[in-house]
Amino acid sequence: MFLEDCKILENVEVAKNMYLMKLKGTKAIPETVSGQFFMLQCKNSGVFLRRPISIHYINKKESVLEFYYEVKGKGTKDLSAAKTGDYINIQGPLGNGFIKEGTGKKVLVIGGGMGIAPMKYLLEELNNLGSNITFIAGGRNRGALKILDNIDLKGIITHITTDDGSQGTHGRVDMKMRELLEKERYDLVYTCGPEKMMESVAKIATENNIKCFVSLEARMACGVKACVGCSIKTKDGMKKVCHDGPVFDSTIIVEMNPKEKTETCCGN
Amino acid sequence: MSSLGINFLGVDFKNPLVTSSGCFGFGMEYKDYFDPNILGGIGIKGLTLEPRDGNYGTRIAETPSGMLNCVGLENPGIEYFKKVTLPLMKKEGINTNIIANINGSTIEDYIKIAKEVENIPEIKIIELNISCPNVKDGGMAFGANPEVAGRVTKEVRNVTTKPLVVKLSPNVTDIAGIAKIVEENGADAISLINTVLGMAIDIRSKKPLLGNTFGGLSGPAVKPIALRMVYQVYKAVKIPIIGMGGIASPEDALEFIMAGATLVSVGSVIFPNPLLPVEIIEGMEKYCKDNGIANISELIGIVHR
Ligand SMILES: Cc1cc2nc3c(=O)[nH]c(=O)nc-3n(C[C@H](O)[C@H](O)[C@H](O)COP(=O)(O)OP(=O)(O)OC[C@H]3O[C@@H](n4cnc5c(N)ncnc54)[C@H](O)[C@@H]3O)c2cc1C
Ligand SMILES: Cc1cc2nc3c(=O)[nH]c(=O)nc-3n(C[C@H](O)[C@H](O)[C@H](O)COP(=O)(O)O)c2cc1C
Ligand code: FES
Repeated sequence: MFLEDCKILENVEVAKNMYLMKLKGTKAIPETVSGQFFMLQCKNSGVFLRRPISIHYINKKESVLEFYYEVKGKGTKDLSAAKTGDYINIQGPLGNGFIKEGTGKKVLVIGGGMGIAPMKYLLEELNNLGSNITFIAGGRNRGALKILDNIDLKGIITHITTDDGSQGTHGRVDMKMRELLEKERYDLVYTCGPEKMMESVAKIATENNIKCFVSLEARMACGVKACVGCSIKTKDGMKKVCHDGPVFDSTIIVEMNPKEKTETCCGN
Repeated sequence: MSSLGINFLGVDFKNPLVTSSGCFGFGMEYKDYFDPNILGGIGIKGLTLEPRDGNYGTRIAETPSGMLNCVGLENPGIEYFKKVTLPLMKKEGINTNIIANINGSTIEDYIKIAKEVENIPEIKIIELNISCPNVKDGGMAFGANPEVAGRVTKEVRNVTTKPLVVKLSPNVTDIAGIAKIVEENGADAISLINTVLGMAIDIRSKKPLLGNTFGGLSGPAVKPIALRMVYQVYKAVKIPIIGMGGIASPEDALEFIMAGATLVSVGSVIFPNPLLPVEIIEGMEKYCKDNGIANISELIGIVHR
């Protein structure tokens, strides 16, 4: 884990509110694997906490780190306002990353919306392992899939779905998954996207006896297991999304977002 | 002794900087960024007798200049701490002072955990967190009721020979009054402030944002409140103080010392700035050098003079 000021090479709006940021070479590059994330901090930002963003891609040859993010609130707004030549402080790599068991295996990679972010580097790593890869990428509309232009999909069987039918199949990624499973068998599923989508994908995988890895999100303060803010309940006890995850075997997760509420004073 | 070396309750601290409970894990989590042994001491996550899962749902919310948390005291419990965590801390080479933060839902819980901690030689100081909800008393915090605050302090005092620091909640009308009562009941020192009770609402779901509805506010947003309370408590009691609440720079730390704190503690600001402890230690050293101060203790409570 490192803390570094990195120079921004590029920070472009790929589609409405969705940005691709490229940073110049860092000490973290050699040890970063797909599925890991960094806590980003803009210089002179008005927000207090750092923002967790997954590694989108690492270009080892040119020593470039890529992030793909959507403007949601103040923190990501600040990120989007940063200019080429500005510096940004990054902390990481953090978390476990995707657990690669892809060697020579048939794998299904499913990314929904911003969940496509960590997949670019995963696809390359799986490719290097000699996996047989099928990729389902879904989004609200054509804009949400614009990022695919930035991903090398050569040799990868790719299916596209959109909620509004503006590109690929009209529908959701989990529908496409069911459809594929009628004809094909996969050894492994990797997925990232909205919680409901991942719940559905994990359920389908379990029904079909396929091991499934999900990449979860939680609100984070520290990113390093020091604040206990990002815990989730699993069959093996409480786990930290920032440290034990963000990637988990879907069968150990009890409930992605328990609805139980408490109301005690203080709360620390 | 260097300009920052200080003796606190009979324990030598290489400098007055410690970390706040719940913001520095068990002392090992930030070791990739700096050596934790440069700290005067490490305050570890609040411990309870039994393991706790903490609160469900969202536990963290960003606020202007700070954050809310409702972790709900998730911790592995004292047994696991003794068997696994502490040996790991030793294996990682942690050799600076360890301050154990203890918590309970009833006075009996506090007594039991204090007895356990009493037998752990590596723990140099006990910090009694009285911000916890008192389940036998309608869930109000122990520290919100002077009579209960006094009683829990006295009971724990009776079962420990270790230096006993009582950590006060700021969610009271008369902080100096509570401080006096815990002093009368045997506290060796006071630490303050714990988090300020707050909340946030998610306007999209039209529901409280935090899983616990309420959470504790910390960070620079609370600093002026914390500083004022340290000032008031210094006036009211004779025992030393650990000052905390939103410390984000060496200047902030010096303000707390001048208001009356013997030790200063950094918490939430470590999250955005993991190098903060290093910056504060260096900054305090420089201040002493530049201002001809032989030892930082000369500054404790100096604004009152
Ligand atoms: C491990 C991990 C990897 C992520 N990777 C990406 C990525 O590659 N691309 C991308 O666009 N987004 C990613 N996210 C989500 C991203 O962190 C949030 O969208 C972002 O923090 C929102 O910040 P904000 O200030 O714009 O929004 P606000 O809503 O103003 O943020 C307020 C607070 O809530 C937190 N928060 C809000 N939404 C989320 C969320 N969905 N997950 C976690 N914390 C949140 C913020 O960090 C901040 O502390 C990732 C989240 C995690 C946990
Ligand atoms: C995530 C988090 C967890 C905390 N956990 C504890 C705890 O277990 N016990 C305790 O006494 N205080 C706990 N606190 C309170 C801090 O120790 C400190 O008193 C408070 O945050 C104010 O300092 P700060 O503004 O520098 O963070 C916690 C604070 C935060 C932010
Ligand atoms: S974000 Fe602090 S423990 Fe995970």
